[in-house]
Amino acid sequence: MTAEAAAGHAAPARITLAGVSKRFVTPRASVDALGPLTLDVREGDFVVLVGPSGCGKTTLLNLVAGFEAPTEGEVRVDGIRVGGPGPDRAMIFQEPALFPWLNVEDNVAFGLRQHGGMSAAERRAVALEYLRLVHLEGFERAFVHELSGGMKQRAAFARALAPRPRALLCDEPFGSLDALTRERLYAELQELHAETRRTTLFVTHNTREAACLADCVVVLTARPARIASALAVELPRPRSFYDPRVSELAGEILTRLRADPSSLPGRRNA
Amino acid sequence: MPEVAPLRGRNVALLAFLLLLLAVWQGVWSLGVLPGYSLPSPAQVGGRLAQLAGDGTLWPSVRASVVRMILGFVLSAVLGLALGLAMGLSPMTDSCLRSLFLGMQTLPSVAWVPIALLLFGLGNAAIYFVIVMSSVAAMAIATADGIAHIPPHYLQAARSLGTSGGALATRVALPAALPGIVTGVKLGWTLGWHGVVSAELIKSSIGLGFLLHAGRELNDAAQVVGIMLVTIFLGLLLDRLLFAWVERRIRVRWGFAAASERG
Repeated sequence: MTAEAAAGHAAPARITLAGVSKRFVTPRASVDALGPLTLDVREGDFVVLVGPSGCGKTTLLNLVAGFEAPTEGEVRVDGIRVGGPGPDRAMIFQEPALFPWLNVEDNVAFGLRQHGGMSAAERRAVALEYLRLVHLEGFERAFVHELSGGMKQRAAFARALAPRPRALLCDEPFGSLDALTRERLYAELQELHAETRRTTLFVTHNTREAACLADCVVVLTARPARIASALAVELPRPRSFYDPRVSELAGEILTRLRADPSSLPGRRNA
Repeated sequence: MPEVAPLRGRNVALLAFLLLLLAVWQGVWSLGVLPGYSLPSPAQVGGRLAQLAGDGTLWPSVRASVVRMILGFVLSAVLGLALGLAMGLSPMTDSCLRSLFLGMQTLPSVAWVPIALLLFGLGNAAIYFVIVMSSVAAMAIATADGIAHIPPHYLQAARSLGTSGGALATRVALPAALPGIVTGVKLGWTLGWHGVVSAELIKSSIGLGFLLHAGRELNDAAQVVGIMLVTIFLGLLLDRLLFAWVERRIRVRWGFAAASERG
């Protein structure tokens, strides 16, 4: 398979959660983490999930990624039930989770090995293309620990995007970065999404981040997470983190979060 | 260069410390606190070693011990890594083998010698058995722990990139566990070296352990101390030769290296 053929199945995915709930049962307790919850994410949409800490946002992503199976209901990608993790749904974590035994280029090329049939030269070419896309050209040979936090997360995005997944699942990817780096990455992620149009599910508890990035913001309740409300965002792109309309929207999201009587009072991450 | 200076400083300090040890040893000997037949002087030890090297006694024994060690260690490492991998990947295998291996680790190397002689008689097989039994448990446990402590995000990231089954084990689990595995293999090397000398001490007609034993039989304290020093030196030297490269590589890649250690 060539790079072009790999691009053949690059159409963005439609992600459907139909009556999905998740209960964790341990010998001591049983915890309802999520749902029942129904959500339909259209092809190429950038959907941001916000909710109080510990409300089950990560569980929702793990269900879509296939790391966990729902207790009830079904997660579907283009109508087909998700039975486990797959290269069509790439995950980005708060920790970059880059492999320290590989250099940056080999990290980005890692997922391409699974396509089979791509020569080493083709994998390298694709890796370089994605490193350019995230502005990391020149760092192909660097080891992971030699990169700054922001550069690591950029490399993680390149690694996730290189095998041309049809959906991108982001679990607070900017949560451990400093404010300056984060603001730069908001702009870059909007660019990246405009270029690649992957269906994106993005989890955060930062309302301004949500307002800056989303086509649609889904506000979740405290555990077990259910959909409290959804908000379509029509603001033009690219959006600046300091755009007053973004601030206004962030305020609206915060108001909705606080309207949930079960959410924690006085959250400060507006 | 500023990066080289601290390293050189450390080496100078180490050399000074070794000279100090030698001086204390010489001092204790000169004061005559202990009888001459139990504590030789540094010069006597050096002289005896030169003699052993000169009359062709030392070299064949060094070679015999090293060859036994390398063969026994390779066998032990293959077994230890395979068992450790099985333990790391299967919790059931882990719970079965772990307590057994922890128990084995409490047994000193020399305690394996009698059963080795009963099982294998007076041959090299008994020595290989002692090496394997002394070192395999430590290597298996370290490998299993190395795999158990892999950050879960590495495995999740790999799975969401489409990696599963054998590729997940060889392309992710093994390299991610490498720092732990190398620690285990190094520990196994040291324990195996204990094993080979212990076994030779009791049963052998050649080897460092045999020379130790012969020295005691002849009341030759200089030979006993001299062979101890050779054993320590060889253990350290082989450790460096075998593992320095891979440890350095891991430190540089994982970012464990201090700036002064980078080449």
